[in-house]
Amino acid sequence: MTGVGVGRTRVPLRATYVGMLLLLYFPIALLFLFSISENSSLSFPIQGLTLDWYREVFEDASLLEAARNSLVVGGVAATLATLIGFSVSVAVVRFRFRGRAGLVGLAGLPLIVPFIVLGVSLFLLFIFVDIPRSLATIAIGHTVVAVPFASLILLARMIGLDPNLEDAAMDLGATYRATLRRVVVPLMGTSLLSAWLTCFIVSFDEVAIALFLAGGDPTFPIFLYGQLRFAQRLPVLIAMAVLLMIGTVTLTLIAFRLGRRRA
Amino acid sequence: MLGRRGALRFLAVPPYVWLGLFFVLPLVLIVAISFRPETGPINFDDPWALSLVQYQRVWETESYLRLLGVSVLMALVVAGSATLLAYPVAYFLAFRARDRAVFYLVLLLIPFAASYLLKIMAWRLMLGQEGAINSFLQYIGLTAEPLDLLLYSRAAVIIALVYVWIPFAALPIYAAMQRINRGHQEAAADLGAGPWSRFWRITVPLSLPGALAAFFMVFIPTVGEYVTPSLVGGTEGFMYGNLIQDFFTSAANWAQGSALAVIMLVVTLVLVIVALRVVDVRRLSS
Amino acid sequence: MLARTHRLRAAPALFATIALILASCQGAEPQELLVLEWAGYEADDFWTDFQTANPEVPVDFEFGTTDADILSLMQAGSQADIFHFYTGWQQFYVDEGLVREIDTSKLTNWDAVPADMQALGQIDGKQYFIPWDWGFSSILYNTEEIPDGISSWNALFNEEYAGHVSMWDDGPAAVTVSAYINGWDETAITDEQLAQIEEDWIAQKPLNIHYWDSEYENLCPEVKSGEIWVAYAWQGCYADALYAGAPVAYANPDEGRNSWVGLYGINADTDSYELALQFLDLKLAELTCGNAVTLFYYGCANGDVMAAVEDPVLIEAFGINDPGILETTNFTPPVTAEQRDAWTAMWTRVKAE
Repeated sequence: MTGVGVGRTRVPLRATYVGMLLLLYFPIALLFLFSISENSSLSFPIQGLTLDWYREVFEDASLLEAARNSLVVGGVAATLATLIGFSVSVAVVRFRFRGRAGLVGLAGLPLIVPFIVLGVSLFLLFIFVDIPRSLATIAIGHTVVAVPFASLILLARMIGLDPNLEDAAMDLGATYRATLRRVVVPLMGTSLLSAWLTCFIVSFDEVAIALFLAGGDPTFPIFLYGQLRFAQRLPVLIAMAVLLMIGTVTLTLIAFRLGRRRA
Repeated sequence: MLGRRGALRFLAVPPYVWLGLFFVLPLVLIVAISFRPETGPINFDDPWALSLVQYQRVWETESYLRLLGVSVLMALVVAGSATLLAYPVAYFLAFRARDRAVFYLVLLLIPFAASYLLKIMAWRLMLGQEGAINSFLQYIGLTAEPLDLLLYSRAAVIIALVYVWIPFAALPIYAAMQRINRGHQEAAADLGAGPWSRFWRITVPLSLPGALAAFFMVFIPTVGEYVTPSLVGGTEGFMYGNLIQDFFTSAANWAQGSALAVIMLVVTLVLVIVALRVVDVRRLSS
Repeated sequence: MLARTHRLRAAPALFATIALILASCQGAEPQELLVLEWAGYEADDFWTDFQTANPEVPVDFEFGTTDADILSLMQAGSQADIFHFYTGWQQFYVDEGLVREIDTSKLTNWDAVPADMQALGQIDGKQYFIPWDWGFSSILYNTEEIPDGISSWNALFNEEYAGHVSMWDDGPAAVTVSAYINGWDETAITDEQLAQIEEDWIAQKPLNIHYWDSEYENLCPEVKSGEIWVAYAWQGCYADALYAGAPVAYANPDEGRNSWVGLYGINADTDSYELALQFLDLKLAELTCGNAVTLFYYGCANGDVMAAVEDPVLIEAFGINDPGILETTNFTPPVTAEQRDAWTAMWTRVKAE
C-alpha cells in the first residue's frame, strides 16, 4: 500500500466512503423503518412494529397491477434496448461501413438530450401519428433512453472479444448469423445480462418520460406519483417499494454470481 | 466471407430504424412545431404555418431566460457537487479497497435500486416542518420551533438531486481510475514525488475523463429536471423543466413549449461542446 | 450448451413480442370505464351506487389538476370515457368536438336536478354536461394564528402571514381573486389590469410556502399541521381539517366568495356510451350525491338531497340558513379562449419569475 496514491497522508478516505454509505442508506433505512412501523403517517415517535403493511401490499389490486405494468414495460424496454445495443456493437466492431461512426454517435445521442425533451417530443409524435398513449408507448420511450447504456456495455465487451473465434467458426462452414448466435452471444453472455439488467433498472424507476407517455395504465412510479397525496397510503407504498428493491438487488446479485461462475 | 455482408444489413438497419423513428423523428417534429404560431394545443389537420413568434415571445419574456440561466446554474452546482463528493468515494474504491472493491461498489449502488420518488419523498418527509428531522429534533428537545428553510426551496431541490446522483457519478470516475497504470505512480514515487504531488500530477489528470463524464452525466438530465422541483421546490425552486411541463399540461401551448424545449436543447449542446473544447485544449497544452 | 443458448436467445424476443401485444391490447374491451378526474373524487364513496349496480365493471381514474390541464389532456387525446371540469369552460369542449351529447331521457335522476343547474350543462339548447358537485372558493384560515378572522381576499397578500400562505396553482383563479379585490369586471380585464395583476402576484409569490395543486396532497396536510395559516381553498380541506379537529374557519370575505359548479361530460370518442351514461346517472343518485355533501362538504346537484340536509355543521358550511349568502357569492362567468390563454400565460410568467 505504501507509495501508491495518498496512502500515508491524513485524508480519511475510508471514513469518507463509510460516511457516504451512511448518507445514502439513511433515507432508505428511514423508509424501511416506516414500512414496519404501526404509525399510519411518517413521523416520530414510532408507536410499534408490524408487518401489516406488507400484508396489505398483496391485497391491493391497483398497486399490484401498477407493479406488474412496470415489470412488463421494463422487460420489453430492456429486451429491445439490449437487442439494439447488441446489433450496434457487432456492426461497429466487426465491420467497416460508411455510416459506422454515425451509428455509434446515434446510439449514444439520447444521453445528451434531457428527459423532458425526449418525453415531450415523443408525446407530440404519438399525437401526430394518432397513436394513443399506453404502456407500449412508455416502453418505446424507455427503449430510446436505455439504448446508450446497452450499447456502451456491449461495445466495451465486443471490443475485447477475439475475432479469431468467429473466423474459426466460419472456416468450419457456419454463416455469420449462425456464428453470432452460437459463438458471439454465449461469449458475451454476462455482458448481455448486465446490459439487460441495467436497462431494466433504468426503465423500472423512470418517471419523467413516463408521465408524458402514459395512457390509462400506470407504471409503478406513475402510480406512486399519483398516490403521494394520500399520507395514509405511504406505508403500504413504501412496503411495496422495499419489496421491489429487494427483488431488484437479488436479481442483480444472482446475475452477478452467474457471471462470475462462467468467467 | 460468406454471408457476412448480408449480416451487416441485418445488424445495422434495425438500430437506425428504431432510433430514426423514435429519437430523431420526434426531435425533428418538435423543432418543426416550435415554428408554428398557434397558442394552445395543436390540431395537426390545420395547415402548417411557419413563424418565429414563439421564439420572439420567449426572447421578450425576461423571466423565462432568467429561469433558464438559474436552472443551468443549479444543474452546474448539482453536477459539480455530485462529482466532487463522488470523487473521494471512487478513489477509495479504486485504490484502497483492493479485492473488496466490487463488494463495496455494489453496496454503494444498492440505494440506486430504491424508488427515486420514494427517496425524494423521504427527503420531503425528513426536511419538512412536520417532517421526521424536525419532529425528531423537537422530540429530543433540541429545537422548540420547526426549521422551515430546508424544504420548498432551491436548496432543497439541489440537496435532493445531489443525493440521488452521487452513487451514479462515482461509476465513471471509478472506471477511469481503474485504468490508471500503477506503474506511473510508482515511477513518480521513485523519482521523489510526494503523495500529494503524485495525486495532483498523475491521478487527477488521468481520472479527469471519468470525472468529466460523471459531471456531464449528471448535468444534462438535471437542466431539464421537473419532477424533483415539483415535489420539494415550492415556489422558489421552480425550474425551466417545470416551465416546459406547464406548457404541455395546464398552460397548454405546445408550440411555445416546443420552442422552450429546443432552446434548452441547443443551450445544453453548446455548453457540452464548449466544455469538451476547453478540456481538449488543456490536454493539448499539458 | 449452444442449443440451450439458442433457445435462451429466442425467449426474450418472444417475451417482448407477447408483452407488446398484451400491453397494447389493454382496454380493448368495452366493459370498463376510464374517468378523467380531480384528486379525491376517485374515492369509492363518490360512485358507490354504480359499484353496487355493476360490481364487475372496473373503473379506472386518471388525474388533472386544473381546468386548463383537464382540457389540455382531452385535447391531447385522452382515452377517458368521462371527464370532470368546472363552470366557465363548457364552450371549449363543444367547439373542439370533444364531448358527446347526453340523452337525458335515459337518466333516472335527471328530474331531481334543479332547472338552473341543468341549464349550466347546455350549449345551444343541447345537453352536453351533467352538473354534479358545487361549492365555494374562499379563504381557509387557522383561527389560532389569526384570531381576528379574515374579512377580505387580500389576506392572501398580507405580509404578516409570510411563509404560511398557499395559493392554488391556477392562473384564472389568480385573476378572479385580483378582480374581486380591485372591484374589476372579470369578463372585461384590460391589458393594463392584467399587467397589474401579474405584478401583484409576483410580489405575493414569496409569501407562499408553496402553491398547492392537489388538495389532499399538498394543501390539507399542511393546513391540519398548522404550517399553512391562510389558503385559497374549496370546502374539501375545510371539512377534512374540521374532522381532524384542527382550528380552522372558512371565510366570508367582503368581496364575496366565489362559487363553482362541477360538470361531467362524455368523451365524443368513447366506446362505452351506455355505460358512461349509467355512471353519470348513478352519480346523481341519492347516496352517491349525498356523499359529496357529507364527506366533502360540497353541494350536490340533486335538489332533493340538498333539501334534506339537517346537519348544523353542513348548514353552516353551505350557509343554508343564511339567505344572503348566495347574493354575496360571485359565480364564475365563462372565459373566452383569448382570456384563457392570456391568464394562464400570465400565471406561467409569475411562476417563472
